[in-house]
Order: sequence, then C-alpha cells, then structure tokens
Amino acid sequence: MVQFLAQTFVNGINVGALYGLAAVGLSLIFGVMRILNVAHGEFLMVGGYIGFWLFKLYGVDPFMGLPLVGIFLFLIGIVFYKVVFSRVAKFHEEVKLKNSLLIAFGLYLIFPQIAMVLWTADERAISPKYSGQAFDLLGVRFGYVPLWNVCVAVVIVLAMYLFLNKTYFGKSLRGTAESWKAAKLSGINIEWTFMITFGLGISLAGIAGVLIALTQELTPVMGMPWTLKALIVVVLAGMGSIVGAFVAGLILGIVEAVSAIFMGPYTIAIGLLIFLIILVLRPRGLFGRA
Amino acid sequence: MFEVNHIDVYYGELKALWGVSLTLDKGEIVALIGANGSGKSTLLEAIAGLLPPTTGEILFEGVRLDKEPSHRIVELGVCLVPEDRGTFPGMNVLENLELGAFSKRGRKEKEETLHVVYGLFPILKNRRNQLARTLSGGEQQMLAIGKGLLSRPKLLMLDEPSLGLAPLVTKNIFEAICQINQTGVSILLVEQNVHIALKVAKRAYIIENGRIVQHEQAKNLLEDKRVRQAYLGIHST
Repeated sequence: MVQFLAQTFVNGINVGALYGLAAVGLSLIFGVMRILNVAHGEFLMVGGYIGFWLFKLYGVDPFMGLPLVGIFLFLIGIVFYKVVFSRVAKFHEEVKLKNSLLIAFGLYLIFPQIAMVLWTADERAISPKYSGQAFDLLGVRFGYVPLWNVCVAVVIVLAMYLFLNKTYFGKSLRGTAESWKAAKLSGINIEWTFMITFGLGISLAGIAGVLIALTQELTPVMGMPWTLKALIVVVLAGMGSIVGAFVAGLILGIVEAVSAIFMGPYTIAIGLLIFLIILVLRPRGLFGRA
Repeated sequence: MFEVNHIDVYYGELKALWGVSLTLDKGEIVALIGANGSGKSTLLEAIAGLLPPTTGEILFEGVRLDKEPSHRIVELGVCLVPEDRGTFPGMNVLENLELGAFSKRGRKEKEETLHVVYGLFPILKNRRNQLARTLSGGEQQMLAIGKGLLSRPKLLMLDEPSLGLAPLVTKNIFEAICQINQTGVSILLVEQNVHIALKVAKRAYIIENGRIVQHEQAKNLLEDKRVRQAYLGIHST
C-alpha cells in the first residue's frame, strides 16, 4: 500500500513537472504583458514536433536538442510578437486583453491545420533507445526519461528564478510586470521587454513540448488541452510567481495521479474542479499577492 | 535650456492642454500651480513622453523630446517622479533604486549616485531589503525621488511630492529638493502646497483649464492678491 502510494506520488510529480513548465511560460507572458496567450499549447506542440524532427531526421538526442528547440522557439516567439501581438500591445488594458484573446484563438484554429500538413494526423512520439528503461528504488519504479524530465524542468525553473531576481534585465522584466508606467519612467524600453518576454515564454513552451513528446503522444490537436492545463496551474498558483507556478503544477500532477486511483477516466475533471474552487474561494491563487 | 512651445495634448478624445508654453533655465526651480484637473500632471506626463503632444514642440538642450519615446527621454536626462510615485511596490527598496538607474546614463554612475541618495535619505539604506509597499508615505516619497535621482537627471520633474505627507515630513522632503537643486539639477515642481512651492521656486506658472494664465517671479505671486485668494486661502488685504 505504501509502495503503491509512493509510486502514485512519483507518477504525479513526473506529469506535474511538465504542467509546471508549461505554466511558467504562460504565467511569464501574462504577468509582464497582460496578454493571455491561449495559443500557448500550440507553440508547445510546435516545440514537440521540432524535437521530433531533430530526433527522427538528424538523430539528435532529444535532451541534447533542447537548447536548439529553445532558441528556435524563442525566435518564433519574437516573430509572432513583432508581426501580431505588438500591434495590440499599444491598446489599453481591456481592449488589449480582448484583442489578444481573439488573435490567440485564431492561432489556435490555424496551428493544428498546419501541423497536420507538416506532420500528418498520426500520433508521434520521441522514443530514444533509453525510453522505457527504469530502475527500482525501495520498490518504487523510476523511469529514466521522466526522471530526466523532472530534473530539466527544475533546472529551467531555477534558472528563470535566478534570471528574474539576480540580473539587471530580469529585474526590469519584474518591474515592467509591476507597472508599465513606472517602468517607462525608469528608462526601461518596455517594447523591447515585451518582445524578449514573449520570446522567453514561447521558448519555455517549446522545451516543455519536447519533454512531453518523450512521455506522451504528439498530435496536431494536443495544443488546447495543454493550454487548459497551464491555465489551471496559473490560476491555482496566482500571478507573479514563477516558482509558485511550478509548485502548483506539481500539486496538480499529484492530485490528478491520486484521484485517478478512484476516479479513473474522470480525472480530467479534477483540474477543472480545482480551477472553479480556487476562482471562487481564493481568486488570487495559492501563491498570488492580494 | 528647456522649452515647451505651444503644445496641445489630448487624453483620448478630450483636449487637456491648449497651446501651453513654458521655459526653464539650467539650475532653476520652477513651480507649476493650478487647481485639481487643470492639467499640471498632464503637462509633466507630456514632457516625459507618456502622453505625446499632438502639436507644438518640447526642446531640451536642442533635442526634440516630443519625438522621442519615454525611455529615450530618461536617457537624455529628463526624469519624472509621478504623483503615484512610480515605484515598484512588490520589489524591495534596493531593487527599486537599481531600476531607477536602468538607463545607460544612470548605470554608469550607479554606485556613486546610490551613495548620494543614501546620504540624502539615510532611512532608505536601513530599509533597503524591505518591499517598497511596506514603507510609510514619507519613505515612499523619498524612495520615489531617490529612484528618480539614480537616472542622473539634468531636469527632475516632481509631481505633488508632499501629497499625503505630514508637515514635518514635507519639510524634510523640500529640504532634500533644495539640496538636489544645489547640485545643479533643474527642477520643475507641481505642488498643491502652493505656499511652500512658491518659497522654494524662483518662478511659477499658473495653469487653469489646460491653459497657462499667468507667469511671474515666485515672490511676486506670494504677494499677488488674486493668487493669495485662489491658492493660498488668504482673504484679508
């Protein structure tokens, strides 16, 4: 029984780390720019397929290929910011949020179609030789790939934390998130800050996509479910905390894994239930500021 | 050194400033006086690039500020400390001051300026690891001014520095403002405490309904009967 619970816990963390990583990018973009990018999951899917291509066509190890995918998605993010989102960034808050939602929903309709042309509707996966290998520790099974996934996610989130809190540029992102007016008056070029933030957020989504493709199937329609997961995690965590978003991702993963024991296929409702309860009882989220 | 020439500024559809002109010499303190909603803050925001004017020009040391984005204006040495103080409430005092020095101009001399600011407001040094939002009103204003100074401004614009402060704290803040001015920084001051504003300023402009209606030496305005009635609340003689 104890082993079973421990195993469930470990499985929950394996999935939760991916939820957290997907949510961190969404949270970053929303926090700094007040743009709710509901196409976040689409960029995550693109990242997954790029990782798949690198592995399948060029034999690049998926973990070694992560920096490449990160840089590529960063550039894609910057292009999308420049071509699409920068045009709504100049509107005031309410109009901007509405218009950016419409644009992102538009992307959500387009991306899966393009993905179907490029990669077909077949389910894909990145499966290097070591996938499926595992070791036992005290009767609990640890897969090498999920373990690496968790490590990579933790390292990335820690790196983001250090970047935002210790570097000058990172502090300017936090300042911009706090107040655009104060940021402008401090001499921060918030247009530039927005562009880099969007690139970073999309880059994080892409990296999450590769990690996901290592443990789950890759399909052209996977985007929206992952956007929803990330959104639930961001609501659970509250705004303004990168580490909080990651921890909330872990919590959702564990809660889902535990509830799967007695709820079976209805587990997916658990996340939405948490979403509702948090919105009603604690709208600022678990780690959010008032 | 600094000139505003016939600017019109709109808040969306609403015209807020009508042909406003103003000059300021190097090292001067100039006050801008007017009732609530007369356009004082709007003028400062227009200069800082937050609300660019539709017509007219703003010249600073020969450069057209009205064509530049706000971060470039800071880089050129013009800094606004806004009425809401323009600090980052969720960041600590030191981080606020560091971001004040974000411009290349400020960053070059960050350590020296930080030393100067701590000299001017020693309490900020004690509070450096505290979140800005946990500071008292007076400390927040000190932080706002200190943060502005870290951009190494040649022209510092202060919007209502005494707002919500106790008289003694106001006095400290204004002593600091005079000290800052003595280091060669020009100051454009918007202040509801007209008496203290006219005491420290050399000249003053009176703004009503978005138009400059009077421009005078500050000490003359202190004697001016109309000004005494309208802004100082003194009705006798």
